[in-house]
Amino acid sequence: MSEHPGTRNLLGPYVMGALGAQEERIVEEHLDGCAGCREEAQDLRLVHERLTDLAYATETPPPGLKDRVVAGMPHGMPYREPRRRVPPWAAVAAALCVLALLGVVFASGVSGLFAPETATTLRPTELAPGAGGELRIESSSANTQAELEAWDLPPLGEGEYYELWFGKDNGRVSAGTFTVNDEGRVTCYMTVPAETVGDYQRVGITRERFPAEPRMDDVKVVLSGELRRL
Amino acid sequence: MDGMEDQVLVRRVASGDERALSALYDRYAGLIFGSGVRYLGDRGLAEDLVQDVFTSVWRNAAGFDPARASFSTWVYRITRNQATDLIRRRKARIRTVGGDLLFEPGGDDPSGELSRSFDVASALSRLSPVHREVIILAYFEGLSQSEISRRTGTPLGTVKSRTTAALRALREDLDEDRGSDDE
Repeated sequence: MSEHPGTRNLLGPYVMGALGAQEERIVEEHLDGCAGCREEAQDLRLVHERLTDLAYATETPPPGLKDRVVAGMPHGMPYREPRRRVPPWAAVAAALCVLALLGVVFASGVSGLFAPETATTLRPTELAPGAGGELRIESSSANTQAELEAWDLPPLGEGEYYELWFGKDNGRVSAGTFTVNDEGRVTCYMTVPAETVGDYQRVGITRERFPAEPRMDDVKVVLSGELRRL
Repeated sequence: MDGMEDQVLVRRVASGDERALSALYDRYAGLIFGSGVRYLGDRGLAEDLVQDVFTSVWRNAAGFDPARASFSTWVYRITRNQATDLIRRRKARIRTVGGDLLFEPGGDDPSGELSRSFDVASALSRLSPVHREVIILAYFEGLSQSEISRRTGTPLGTVKSRTTAALRALREDLDEDRGSDDE
């Protein structure tokens, strides 16, 4: 590779034809004697051609189309089960994640709390418009692992926290509490002692304030979802 | 939303996040609309194409699997399929240049040019803000290096080196993409 950084840094505008005559001549004289720079110029020329193609193919849509497109999105569509792996949790800004298993009680039985792999996408309520989240649960004979990622949750005041609940027709159980970072994000991994229970169909996150007793009231739910088997 | 990867935005769209959809619109609508104008020969149909593509993205975001294809490939395929549907539904004529068919409805993009453009649009979104700025100003607003320097208040030498660095970054990104999608 060339050892002439000054000339190398001109290769971009050179392949674009954007240099003045004198600089262009300097670059061409250098390229005559430097195979590395010639090769790089060829590579950059291909990128330049791709960008030119893109620019040629692109045309600014009429004003107002964006608003019509976004406003025209159907809401309340039946949720389609994704056929994909849960993406790896990307490194996120430092998150505050306080986990407390609050009195999780399981009835004895012969089946597990959840199906071997269960997941849900969490959808926002009016209390947290724009928020979202994903929950994935994996059961084994020994325990149940729950992996929660949520974003754009409203910031918490003093004494406030979020709580994760699992619900079914005749009851609900807390799976833990957490807080969020300044960006409203959290990534939590919870291990829940897996004894047995019936089927839990729903999941919800509520906003709670100490010392009030936490409850999964609909009026406090910020995110919710229906559990589905993968 | 500006620096977010496409696949992160799609996950948010799957959660019903309209801002994420809006960010994807900003990245791809110009290319979809321009493609529609070229291939459908009608600006009204091109607007319909944009609407149809993003409606499809909205409805199917939960099913998008980044392990199978990049978002740019996915949205390119949606664009191609929606354009085909529009042609069939509206019986639009296909523009040709010099007698050569630019786009075969229902078939592959013969020269790969449109598919590559979606990849480049995606790669452009992953550039750093200062690199993306010089590329956008040069290629999409037609400014010279001196004009970019004046517009941005950046020394001319810095504009030139940033332009080179931006092209290098795109080259590396596009080299990584090559062969990673199952077409």
